Amino acid sequence: MTYYVVIFAAAFAGSFHCIGMCGGFACALGHDSRGPAATGLRHVLYNSGRLTSYVFLGALAGGIGQLICTSQGTAVPGMDGGLDIGQRALAIIAGLLMIAMALQFFGRLPGLHRLSIGFGGSTFAMMLRSLLTTRSHAAPLAFGVFNGFLPCPLVYAFVAQAAGTGAVQSGMLVMVSFGLGTFPAMLMMGGIGRAFSAVWRQRGVWVAGAAILLLGLVTLGRGVFPTAMSHAMSHAMPHSISQGTSQGSSQPLSIERRI
Amino acid sequence: MTADSAALCSHCLLPVGLRSMRQTINGESCAFCCYGCSIAFQVKRGRGEEAAAAWLLIRLGVGAFLSMNIMLFSWLDYTGAFTGIDAAMGPVIHMLLLVLATPAMVILGGPFLREMVVEGLQGRLTSSALIVVGTGAAYAYSAIAVFQGASHLYFDTACMVLMLFTVGHYLDAAGRARAARDLAPLLAAESEWATVVEGDTERRLRVAAVGAGMLVRVRPGERIPIDGIVVDGGSHADEAVITGESRPVAKAIGANVFAGSLNVDGPLLIESAGRGDATRWARICRSVRDALAHRGPSQRLADSIVGAFVPVVLLLGISTSFYWSRYLPFDQALLVGLAVLVVACPCAIGLAAPMATSLGIAMLARQGCLLRDPAALEALARVSLFAFDKTGTITSGRPRLVGIDSPGVSGDEALARAAGLERHSEHSIGRAIVEAAEARGLTPLETHDVRAWPGRGIGGMADGRPVAAGTGKWMRESGWPLAPDIGERARALENAGHTVVYVGWDGAVRAVLSLDDTPLPEARATIAALRQRGIGSALLTGDLPAAARRIALVAGIDDIEAGLTPEDKRETLARRRAAHGKVAMVGDGLNDGPVLAAADVGIAVGSATDLARETATLVLPPGGLWMLPWVVDVSRAVRRVILSNLLWAFLYNFVAVGLAMAGLLRPVLAAAIMAGSSLFVVLNSLRLERLSGPAPFAEPDRNSSVAVVPPTATRGAPLAGLTPSPMEHPVR
Repeated sequence: MTYYVVIFAAAFAGSFHCIGMCGGFACALGHDSRGPAATGLRHVLYNSGRLTSYVFLGALAGGIGQLICTSQGTAVPGMDGGLDIGQRALAIIAGLLMIAMALQFFGRLPGLHRLSIGFGGSTFAMMLRSLLTTRSHAAPLAFGVFNGFLPCPLVYAFVAQAAGTGAVQSGMLVMVSFGLGTFPAMLMMGGIGRAFSAVWRQRGVWVAGAAILLLGLVTLGRGVFPTAMSHAMSHAMPHSISQGTSQGSSQPLSIERRI
Repeated sequence: MTADSAALCSHCLLPVGLRSMRQTINGESCAFCCYGCSIAFQVKRGRGEEAAAAWLLIRLGVGAFLSMNIMLFSWLDYTGAFTGIDAAMGPVIHMLLLVLATPAMVILGGPFLREMVVEGLQGRLTSSALIVVGTGAAYAYSAIAVFQGASHLYFDTACMVLMLFTVGHYLDAAGRARAARDLAPLLAAESEWATVVEGDTERRLRVAAVGAGMLVRVRPGERIPIDGIVVDGGSHADEAVITGESRPVAKAIGANVFAGSLNVDGPLLIESAGRGDATRWARICRSVRDALAHRGPSQRLADSIVGAFVPVVLLLGISTSFYWSRYLPFDQALLVGLAVLVVACPCAIGLAAPMATSLGIAMLARQGCLLRDPAALEALARVSLFAFDKTGTITSGRPRLVGIDSPGVSGDEALARAAGLERHSEHSIGRAIVEAAEARGLTPLETHDVRAWPGRGIGGMADGRPVAAGTGKWMRESGWPLAPDIGERARALENAGHTVVYVGWDGAVRAVLSLDDTPLPEARATIAALRQRGIGSALLTGDLPAAARRIALVAGIDDIEAGLTPEDKRETLARRRAAHGKVAMVGDGLNDGPVLAAADVGIAVGSATDLARETATLVLPPGGLWMLPWVVDVSRAVRRVILSNLLWAFLYNFVAVGLAMAGLLRPVLAAAIMAGSSLFVVLNSLRLERLSGPAPFAEPDRNSSVAVVPPTATRGAPLAGLTPSPMEHPVR
């Protein structure tokens, strides 16, 4: 549970990053002339669309992680309740990705920033504008869904984390925590967003960066020093990971059968 | 071909073919070749106020929302989240899935269903039928299973397949738009606007509405919309599309500008020379549009295969299900059949040729090479012999002084006297003599009372004595005697195909000037480059054999047939075709139209009007002979891409359908592979974009032994030097 709370907190801090970027969209959704209830509905629909996209990405990432783990894990069973080679590799990759994203929040790695933001993002955002002005109730929902797929380093970082968990369910939960963490700021865009100055927003981004960096380091550590970390983090990490392959090997069969 | 199927897709500019979708977007009637193009076009062009575009996005967004939720809940279901304590949740979740899946199927599957019905009413089965039947069966089974309380539902499979197809179509279309980006300027003449200046006011007019004499303002970076003359301002113009000239051309007041060229760096005010829709550019655009709407032979083949493919696959899918239902539970057998239907969608086969062809046409057109029919592109790739016409194709088509015979007097004196006379003449022979004198740095002798006798020569008075230049017959008639050795040489030169001018003064012929048409400087390099590509060259001409041999020797052609009438040329061409396979004929397009039309590929150099007369299938820009090897390269690259696409598409279908029938492919994976396969075809075709442009022809060394007229000379610039070639003067 602690693990998901950490993610929620990191996402909450990181959502000040969202205020600068996606927050513009939330503001543009604005007020509905049909009254406060309609306005509230607009924002709830927008955010549930976004959450769905995030959770879908998380499930996909978790599923891919699970496939990687099981293809390796069947050959090398986990040693003393630790992690097998596939999970370790996955943890190292996910950890490195998160650290790279975190560094980007501190203004490092500008090239990566361009890569993660610039890739088709602007065209996508342009096209979404037509949705903001439509009065239909379904428009904010559709908008939220597309918004969830907009290139964003914060999302990438947590999707990497979701993949690192190596299971569909925990991948989903990571992104549920993340998505919920971004809710408060995005829901209250009109009020909170403008009350905070740019300086405070920047501090929020740093807090998020630090949280992501910490998570990334922990994930990386799980890959590099499996035994030490698995004991230290067993209470914080989702059970499917800390308990090694026992859970991971029973689940994937059914998934694989369906995909 | 009906007018309907000749239209081009508004998004990717490929021919819409038989399966067009028509919609009104931004108040304009648009045609699309597929669902993906319709999405991509609206995503790109749709404005906020445009209800249709926003509505499409809303539908896709809501469809994605529902499908993703279906996927998430199904995943939870599979991973056993609703077992044990939560077992009571199972039926509720299943009902929820049904509630979510029903609108998702309608939203995502609707366009495919509509296409199937529209095509079905016209008696055609298309790939959308495969998708509809497959996903429809999965949905229907699952819906019944919900009420029967069965444990396995396949709503997620049905929705995911539809999502993957939608996204795959969209990505295909987005990739194809890159080909359209190259084509768009070549089709722009029809939709271009011009800024017309009237007194102090400016207004925007459609190019078609611009008439002669109107003043048009063109800002830097804009395309010049009309032919005309610069009346104010100065700039450089990039005329590559029109003339093939790749360097920007300086434009000052009084200069001619051409519609379609780009104004590079300065404002221009242009007086229109004629109607805006009668420019060469407008004609080019019309011919490019016509070419795009034609289908090449491989495309026709692919289309007929696709037509037969769909019913076969439908049968295969259904019989596969029946076969497996004997060994597997019904739902599993159904899934195997669904995988067959989904994986065998022949989208990749349909895409194999048109995109590569369009890219090829665009690439050629950007260099000013216009193609009338994509079939010519495929034929050109297989041509093994190029037959060239001589005059105006291999040669400059303009006479040039190649020798002076003046026993007893200096050649310079004879040339100076001849130039003094010919300065007053407009005849091409006269111009060649004056140019030759200038090139030697001679001052033409001051000549008065000049008079021309058409068909005979020109005469006048210099230093108080009569001077004349003309034919031998005229000299004899005038009673001016020829020294015997001069007469002999002149006859020998005439027999060898030279044009001979007799120059006399003081009552006697004292010199003979011989003129000849000369090979273009690029001819030799072009023939050599073609030989490198395994293509032979032949010279077919109506001229004297001696003249033809001389030109062929310089150009490096061994195979010569001279003294041919146009009928002879056609017969020769037919014989060559029997011996060599595909034969292309290159001419100037002015007087060899029938021969061009008789060849597998008729290529005209420098005459786009010929394209309209439909004798040549490919027109090179003026002076564009040197591009020929590059054009062959492009055609071969296009053919390679088409063949590799077809090979891939067929191989893929063969293997994938086999795997699916064996029950080794799951439907969602099958749909993903399917989408990937057509993406592969699009990306493979886009490789053509990396093909380099034609390597500019390097002018030969002026001091080399082979005397040639540099291309600038043909446009009136002075000759740099007159270095006679030993080969050209065997009789001297």
